[in-house]
Amino acid sequence: MSASLPVLQTVPQTDVGLLGAAQPCTLSQCRPGSRATVIGLDDCGTDEACRLRALGLCEGTSVSVIDARHAMVLDVRGTRLALSSAITAGITVQPLPAVRSARG
Amino acid sequence: MSELVVPVVERTPPTPPQAADASVLRLALIGNPNTGKTTLFNALTGLRQRVGNFAGVTVERVEGFFRTASGTRVSCLDLPGSYSLSASSPDEQIALEVLLGRARDGWRPDVVVVVADAVHLERNLYLLSQVLEVGVPVVLALNQMDAAEASGISIDIPELIHELGIPVVPMIAKRGQGIDALGRACETAVTLPAPVRKFALANAVDDALAPIASQLEVAGFKPSAARLEALRLMSVQHAEPHLEHISGLEDVRKQAVTTLAQIGLAPQRLESDARYGWIGEVMARTTSTREQDGRTISDRIDSVALHRVIGPVLFIALMAIVFQSVFTWAAPLQDAIEGGIAALGGIVGGWIPEGELRSLVVDGVFAGVGSVLVFLPQICILFLVIGVLEDSGYMARAAFLMDRVMRRVGLHGRSFIPMLSGYACAVPGIMATRVIENRQDRLATIMVVPLMSCSARLPVYTLLIGSFIPVSTLPLGFGLQGLTLLGMYLLGTLTALGVAAIFKRTLLKGPVRPMILELPSYRWPSLPTLGVTVWQRAMLFVRRAGTVIMSLSIVLWAMATYPRTAPDPLLPEVAQQEQQLEQSVLGRVGKVIEPLVRPLGYDWKIGVSIAASFAAREVFVSTMGTIYGVGGGDDNAAALGERLKAEVDPITGRPVYSTLVALGLMVFYVYALMCVSTTAITVREAGGGRVGWSWAAVQFGYSLVLAYGAAWLVFNVGRALGFGG
Repeated sequence: MSASLPVLQTVPQTDVGLLGAAQPCTLSQCRPGSRATVIGLDDCGTDEACRLRALGLCEGTSVSVIDARHAMVLDVRGTRLALSSAITAGITVQPLPAVRSARG
Repeated sequence: MSELVVPVVERTPPTPPQAADASVLRLALIGNPNTGKTTLFNALTGLRQRVGNFAGVTVERVEGFFRTASGTRVSCLDLPGSYSLSASSPDEQIALEVLLGRARDGWRPDVVVVVADAVHLERNLYLLSQVLEVGVPVVLALNQMDAAEASGISIDIPELIHELGIPVVPMIAKRGQGIDALGRACETAVTLPAPVRKFALANAVDDALAPIASQLEVAGFKPSAARLEALRLMSVQHAEPHLEHISGLEDVRKQAVTTLAQIGLAPQRLESDARYGWIGEVMARTTSTREQDGRTISDRIDSVALHRVIGPVLFIALMAIVFQSVFTWAAPLQDAIEGGIAALGGIVGGWIPEGELRSLVVDGVFAGVGSVLVFLPQICILFLVIGVLEDSGYMARAAFLMDRVMRRVGLHGRSFIPMLSGYACAVPGIMATRVIENRQDRLATIMVVPLMSCSARLPVYTLLIGSFIPVSTLPLGFGLQGLTLLGMYLLGTLTALGVAAIFKRTLLKGPVRPMILELPSYRWPSLPTLGVTVWQRAMLFVRRAGTVIMSLSIVLWAMATYPRTAPDPLLPEVAQQEQQLEQSVLGRVGKVIEPLVRPLGYDWKIGVSIAASFAAREVFVSTMGTIYGVGGGDDNAAALGERLKAEVDPITGRPVYSTLVALGLMVFYVYALMCVSTTAITVREAGGGRVGWSWAAVQFGYSLVLAYGAAWLVFNVGRALGFGG
């Protein structure tokens, strides 16, 4: 229904430095230890997107990938979220250059 | 409940709290999961709690009572843990209805206490920002201040009070710190006007949402609650049950979505953008975090607990402890309770003259009380262990590790522990299903827990295996008897998984929701909280299931006792018992159902024993003992085994019990739900009342069909293949 509506707010531009301009990808493609900013939750389904937003994972949120296997463990606003691959494949992110600290 | 005196409606002149002495202040407690909300609730109310269900739903309703330091009587409702007021689950739906003053039982909060975890304040403020708009005074209980300090987080409380415009109480609930201050804050809060939205939406957005808000106001919503709901409705697919009756709402909602889309806004992210935007500002002004290494202590524990190799090994080890504790540690306590009750019954029986009354008291009442209390050790131990796993934070990790396996049959990672507990006893196992949030998954788990072979089946298995399975050693040192026992356990387990999969695809059809799971920080469980939880579960079982078990035990006693016959006094006592049983209602039932059990290879004696064991499986062995004239009791089990082997059919002259009949009988007991206690607890946990009874009926019915079908297959296929019979 409203899943494909255009998003007005743009993602903050990040300095990608030596890595070159990283292309947006799905969260499931990110590696453990990497960081990314969420661009869209549109491919998760409305109910799931609603739950993710309540848990603090919404457009513009920076997340760190702590562990990735059949599911991912993420750092989201200092909390740890475990998301199955069905969810992470539906989240579009802009990869960020690696930073040591997991807390934003 | 006494009528409320303190007026809390917006724009009503406040009454000083002293005037509330004679009245009850109604406090609703809400918070994210893992914020220590239950710990706080227990610290406030202690054992003065009342557990029930919200009208018409399976969501548990826990209400507690306490007095503040200044003497105000408070009735405190512990709302289900919620991350937001999004109504996406029955739990959140209930929380939203209560806060909006639309609970079906009419309970309206005078003040809402939002419990927040100081370590994860940012995420917790999302729920708070929604609760601020329901139109009821709010107090923020900022819990786990010690953990925040340890994590290098400092929060400027006066600044936070200024930002939020509500009382904020820093606390360490598990040590009881801040409890009195919270009481005072609530008394103050009800004298203040209800808070309002702290941020402004763009004018265009406000205009787009205005028609929804006014529609809701017409339907009786407070203005600020109407605005809360209007914004919230933008991120959901359709209006939830509590809004469905408002005519025309769906039209204005769709209109608003279209309008917003036309001005280039994504409606579904409107609320989270606005709230997290505001939260970001509040966080920047109130909290500072000392720069730390990104890996917390919890992360370090997780690098072991969730390790690809060590993680599963640790999990299996912990589950072995759970299993062991419920299975073996409870046994001596259970024996003590059974022995104690029987001894007490004997003493009381001694005061009553021989006859009907004594039989009723000793064999009916005391046996009934015993059969209720005998479950308590297992229930208490299981809930203690589950409490430790849950409160420490490990339960979420267990669910994470098991998620992929359980998902294959359509269940949830959290279904694992209830099913494991089922090996010890289905009753605590079914009670443990409340760790599963999703109703469909919870019911599917409840339906299959009784298929896990519980400890009450063990006497049946051991009697039949000991008597009819030859003691032979197979290669690799396996014994045939042991393998048969293992086979029975495996049969039950695999069937449980299969049946769960069937339920999830039929009666309990629902999307298998992908895992979105918070892994909370590890914490030391608090002993008083565990104590209250265990006490609560134990009392709940005694009150709810206990009454049913007790009355059915007495009914069964009556059926096995009446009508009285005059047995031949020359016969030995056990033979007199056999005669009495044959003539009783139960015995006649056995004769009536004999044609039904014939195809399984059973005679009327087995029929009677099965009929008698409808109340509890272990009765099978003692009834057989009575029928075959060796008396009940463990000492006679070996004698009973010998007697069974010698039993011949009076017509055909062949042995009644072949190995095949015994195997069929065991398979029957793997599946059949012969346990009044399980049925009673299913009724309660599936929602009580009509809903509960119908689920219990489904559970009982499918088990019986499965049991009969499987026993028939074993007997007839076995015979066709030439294995005796």
